[in-house]
Amino acid sequence: MDNLGELLHGFTIAVTVPHLALMVVGVLLGILVGVLPGLGAPNGVSLLLPLTFGMQPVSAIILLSSMYWGALFGGSVTSILFNIPGEPSSVATTFDGYPMARDGRPTTALATAFGSAAFGALIGVILITFLASWVAQVALAFGPPEYFAVYFLAFASFVGMGGAAPIKTVVALAIGFAIAAIGIDTVSGSVRLTMGIDELVKGVNFVVAVMGLFGIGELLVAVEEEFHARAVSSKIDWREVFRAVGRLPRHSVALLRSAAIGCWMGITPGGPTAASFMSYGIARRFSRRGRYFGTGEVEGIISPETADHAAGTSALLPMLSLGIPGSATAAVMMGGLMIWGLNPGPMLFVDQKDFVWGLIASMYVGNIVAVALVLLTVPVFAALMRIPFVVIAPLIVIICVVGAYSVSNSYLDVVMMLGFGIVGYLFKKLFYPLAPLVLAIVIGDKAEDAFRQSMLMSKGSLGIFFANKLVTCLIVAGIALLLLPLALQLARPWRKPISPTAETTAQEKVII
Amino acid sequence: MISRRALELATAVLTGSFGAAVVVSSLDNGIGWSSAGVDAGTFPFLTGIIIVLGSLYNLVRGVLPAATLANVPIAITPIELRRLAGLFVPAAIFVAAIPLAGMYIASALYVFAVLAMPRHQSVPRALAMAAATTLALYVVFERMFQVSLPHGALAAAFGF
Repeated sequence: MDNLGELLHGFTIAVTVPHLALMVVGVLLGILVGVLPGLGAPNGVSLLLPLTFGMQPVSAIILLSSMYWGALFGGSVTSILFNIPGEPSSVATTFDGYPMARDGRPTTALATAFGSAAFGALIGVILITFLASWVAQVALAFGPPEYFAVYFLAFASFVGMGGAAPIKTVVALAIGFAIAAIGIDTVSGSVRLTMGIDELVKGVNFVVAVMGLFGIGELLVAVEEEFHARAVSSKIDWREVFRAVGRLPRHSVALLRSAAIGCWMGITPGGPTAASFMSYGIARRFSRRGRYFGTGEVEGIISPETADHAAGTSALLPMLSLGIPGSATAAVMMGGLMIWGLNPGPMLFVDQKDFVWGLIASMYVGNIVAVALVLLTVPVFAALMRIPFVVIAPLIVIICVVGAYSVSNSYLDVVMMLGFGIVGYLFKKLFYPLAPLVLAIVIGDKAEDAFRQSMLMSKGSLGIFFANKLVTCLIVAGIALLLLPLALQLARPWRKPISPTAETTAQEKVII
Repeated sequence: MISRRALELATAVLTGSFGAAVVVSSLDNGIGWSSAGVDAGTFPFLTGIIIVLGSLYNLVRGVLPAATLANVPIAITPIELRRLAGLFVPAAIFVAAIPLAGMYIASALYVFAVLAMPRHQSVPRALAMAAATTLALYVVFERMFQVSLPHGALAAAFGF
């Protein structure tokens, strides 16, 4: 029950006027980037990053995480009202959310989505409250081999469970590692992979990559398909909000199942997008009304939304306690932590109690703030969607350019950002996942250091990764995950061929 | 019109050549084991090899007409290509103009050009939006957050 005491202390940090104000600002900005196509949580958070350098770390993380919650909610708004997912993770919400809204029940759809999203987030935060410090305690005993094994497991789970083509995931991961290695090697001090460009000695900042990959890349994908923002009415009927939320407990099985899927996918870095699709697919298979899915079923909204938010929230657990982010946005936040001079990982729970518990407490409060604000501002943000895309697109380009430039006042960064934009477009178009690429850029150096330190300890023998039970288990689990796609492919001829459905094609489209 | 196959091919070649560059470049740092432990080039070398091998696999998979769901023949239609160019070409010109014109003038011209030229908006409205964008950039970055955006060679020549 130590945790509860710490949590109460955290509330005294989170519930102060300046921090509540930061939450409101963060959530509003988050909804904004969530609503706008081409801007998402990863680049929203990286845009804000340079502005947080002067802040206390705990205030900065409250601002950034609130933005994350806002973006998760904002993505659902456009999914339901416009059939345009503002975030990749809210694509599954369009399947039943938009039909329900089109049938004249937009308030019900929105309230159901927000209610179940809040439930998913709550389960995620509770999980963090009780599990994070325990995981951190276990991880305190970790040496370099254990750390490398955990990193290996994280990357392997992308390959095994990410949902994209396994070899494409491997290539994306390896490119991320190579980009992370550019610049000065932290161990030997030698300059690596600059390919003759002197300015690359400083390395490639992950913010530059995120701006290009997610910002410009997504914009290019969005401009291809002409938008028809035919909104259904965005008026909110407040009595219906409470009625819809009141009906949620009837679907408690779907809620709990989706939250469990979300938490699992968030902790193992499968990410919110994969979680929401998986949850939707499972709900359709097991629900009694499964065959009505796609026509505006309540459970078709509950399942992806709960899982999306549970995954988004619990993605912060491994980031805090192990230093391994569970999603692209968490990776960006972790990059921020390192810039603020904190060392993400178990030592946070020892050295930075105020930071950790302030953040955890702020997650409870931040999600409540987010639900209230998103309901209040639906009409405003729905109106934003009526601004023609040709007007928004150049503004987003300018935001990305300025964002990339302001990282280290370098013009080369802007050019690289544009290059990353092309890569992001190609990758999205061809279903290469982007999240592992960003993750590898952020933690590539740490994974490499862990590997090299282990090798130093063992004098070059790989046997150190099988030296004790824990590290062997982690490595074996990682290898198993790596081989999972191969095993599934080999097993396929003995199973019935799966008929191509609208859902799987849509899923292929958005896996990032 | 760009076929899915061509796009897969181009991407695999792109990733593959990046991998090859990584492999070659990491050889300079030394790969393998020395008195100081694992050499600096080892890790990048391995990732480079993985990128090259993976790209080769993707290349073969992309070129072979596999019966996968995702294998739609046409990836980008001519109309889509025109829309893509309509967004990307002005953006690239904008970025190219920054060193000379500076961030403020370049972004104002960019917004104006994109809005007014294809007659999406009337000239006065486009002008107003361009001015508003530049002003917002100036207030937010130069004033509020003390981040100096590039003023450009032109401004420098005039003594700003």
